[in-house]
Amino acid sequence: MSVASTDNAISTGRITRAFIYLMLILFATFYLLPFGIMVLNSVKPLSEITGGNMMSLPQVFTLEPWFKAWNSAQIGVEPTGLKPYFWNSLKMVFPAVTISTVLGALNGYVLTKWRFKGDTILFGLMLFACFIPFQIVLIPMARVLGFLGIAGSTPGLVLVHVVYGLGFTTLYFRNYYQVFPTELIRAAQIDGAGFFRIFWRIMLPSSGPIIVVSVIWQFTNIWNDFLFGASFADLDSQPMTVALNNLVSSSTGVKEYNVHFAGAILAALPTLLVYIVAGRYFVRGLMAGSVKG
Amino acid sequence: MSFLKINNATKSYGSTKVLHNIDIDVQEGEFLVLVGPSGCGKSTLLNMIAGLEDITSGTIAIKGQTMNGVHPSKRNIAMVFQSYALYPNMTVGQNITFGLEMHGVAKPEREKAMSDVAEMLQIKPLLDRKPGQLSGGQRQRVAMGRALVRDPDVFLFDEPLSNLDAKLRVDMRTEIKKLHQKLGTTIVYVTHDQIEAMTLSTRIAVMNGGYVQQLGTPKEIYDNPANLFVASFMGSPSMNLVPAKVVANGDGIFAQLPTGLSDQVNLKFSNPTEALKGFDQKEIVLGIRPEAITDPEGADRKANHIEQITNRVIVTEPAGSDTYVMSSLGGKDCNARMRADALVVAGQDVPFAINMDKAIPFDPFSEMRIA
Repeated sequence: MSVASTDNAISTGRITRAFIYLMLILFATFYLLPFGIMVLNSVKPLSEITGGNMMSLPQVFTLEPWFKAWNSAQIGVEPTGLKPYFWNSLKMVFPAVTISTVLGALNGYVLTKWRFKGDTILFGLMLFACFIPFQIVLIPMARVLGFLGIAGSTPGLVLVHVVYGLGFTTLYFRNYYQVFPTELIRAAQIDGAGFFRIFWRIMLPSSGPIIVVSVIWQFTNIWNDFLFGASFADLDSQPMTVALNNLVSSSTGVKEYNVHFAGAILAALPTLLVYIVAGRYFVRGLMAGSVKG
Repeated sequence: MSFLKINNATKSYGSTKVLHNIDIDVQEGEFLVLVGPSGCGKSTLLNMIAGLEDITSGTIAIKGQTMNGVHPSKRNIAMVFQSYALYPNMTVGQNITFGLEMHGVAKPEREKAMSDVAEMLQIKPLLDRKPGQLSGGQRQRVAMGRALVRDPDVFLFDEPLSNLDAKLRVDMRTEIKKLHQKLGTTIVYVTHDQIEAMTLSTRIAVMNGGYVQQLGTPKEIYDNPANLFVASFMGSPSMNLVPAKVVANGDGIFAQLPTGLSDQVNLKFSNPTEALKGFDQKEIVLGIRPEAITDPEGADRKANHIEQITNRVIVTEPAGSDTYVMSSLGGKDCNARMRADALVVAGQDVPFAINMDKAIPFDPFSEMRIA
């Protein structure tokens, strides 16, 4: 196969090819540079940063800033490190991602396979959720959280993120299920499977790619969210992003840049991990959901 | 009492009526084929029997029980879909037993039923594969296995062969027929392919525009089409339908029409009906199947009356087993089926033998058969 494919490929000259690779390498470096500098400076003692070149390699290698950022850095008034906030974030992200994905899948399933009068209008209205800026919902959301008695708590944040994410997850699953053969649903109905049985046994097992898309999208958005976290969380439920801000922008004492760098990487690691693990499904799933409609 | 009774069933989407007062009785063990062009309502009718679409008015009853509003899973039917509709995430074995599992059949019984069906359809080696790893013909078998395992009252087939290639289609057709003969089950089968309808069915319902045009055995439908639609839809190559004028005199009743040699011929009807006499001096449409027009040596010896005419050959199409010969009759192209070694050349004037037993007159205005 590989032999045949070179015959058919558009032949590019050696120089063109070299140029293409050069450009690719340049851009890759350009995008990787900030991350590289963060990593370099997070393993240096502070004196090396303040005393000289940020770009140079560390003369003394130390993981001390990482431990400090994790365990003992001053966040606000408490020297707790980022650790408790990392757990806060996880406690918020997992339920929020799971609930919004499952609900989105159910919505998509109903909107495509159990059509009812006005379903397109309903879907159109749900799409609005994708275009509403965060800031607009802040005050109504605060009222709702207060009314429900979950203001300043992790469940409150979960609710906010589920509500906000539902528009996106519904859109993904609706488009994916749109091209899912309806004959399969009919066959399952004749076989005697009910609404939820069809969902669990037939639809969900065939939804791998779009579940990955939904999870990556939701995970990234919720993990990286700062506004809702800063607005609706108390000290004991603040997510990582808010804590990182408190770490970096604290105005007392020495600015420990190496600790800040380590903290920032720590905050970015989970999303990075999700992309590395599930990234190749991401494009596949996006295509599956969007190409045919 | 009939096994499956469709009584005055109609279907409307809003104000659009897609099925008009359908009345069909199917006896136990019958193989009924619903055939018609796309959009004729045949699949809708099948879905109504299955319970996948509701019935706007009228009733559908299976074994004497009205099925209106009964859930598809409670009608004891099984359906084979055009796309096979195999669950992609399950193995072949799980696909076959899913219905039994949903109906709460215990695992040992499910395994037994599955192995029986797999044996019958010769799909035992495939049981652990996923549908994605199967060929079209194998998927078709699995889909049939899934239907068979339920041991339903009625099997519903929705164009099950139309996704297969030509050769496999013929093989599977035979297989379905064998299966029906062996199991004696009641089958309702939808297709747009009139050959499938002719070969498989014990009875055919020809549908068009939401109406059943004719319901009868394959032979009735083929030999005595009720109207012009049925006449032209059933049969390949299709029936020659040529305009002619009825002339009655002391010798009998004749169809008068021009040939390609710009003269008139009078074709005498073998068994003219009273109704046909009323068409004296009026225009009709004369229907003659290609195989009823032959070379004189190839004519049916048992025919009561054969008219021999001379006509000019426009084009010949040797098909191997037969040679199709096109000539002009009544101002239209007329297809004749001659023996493969009949010596005819385009442009020649040759004798044609027309078996008038098989000639069918139609009223050009009502489009109905004159009978």
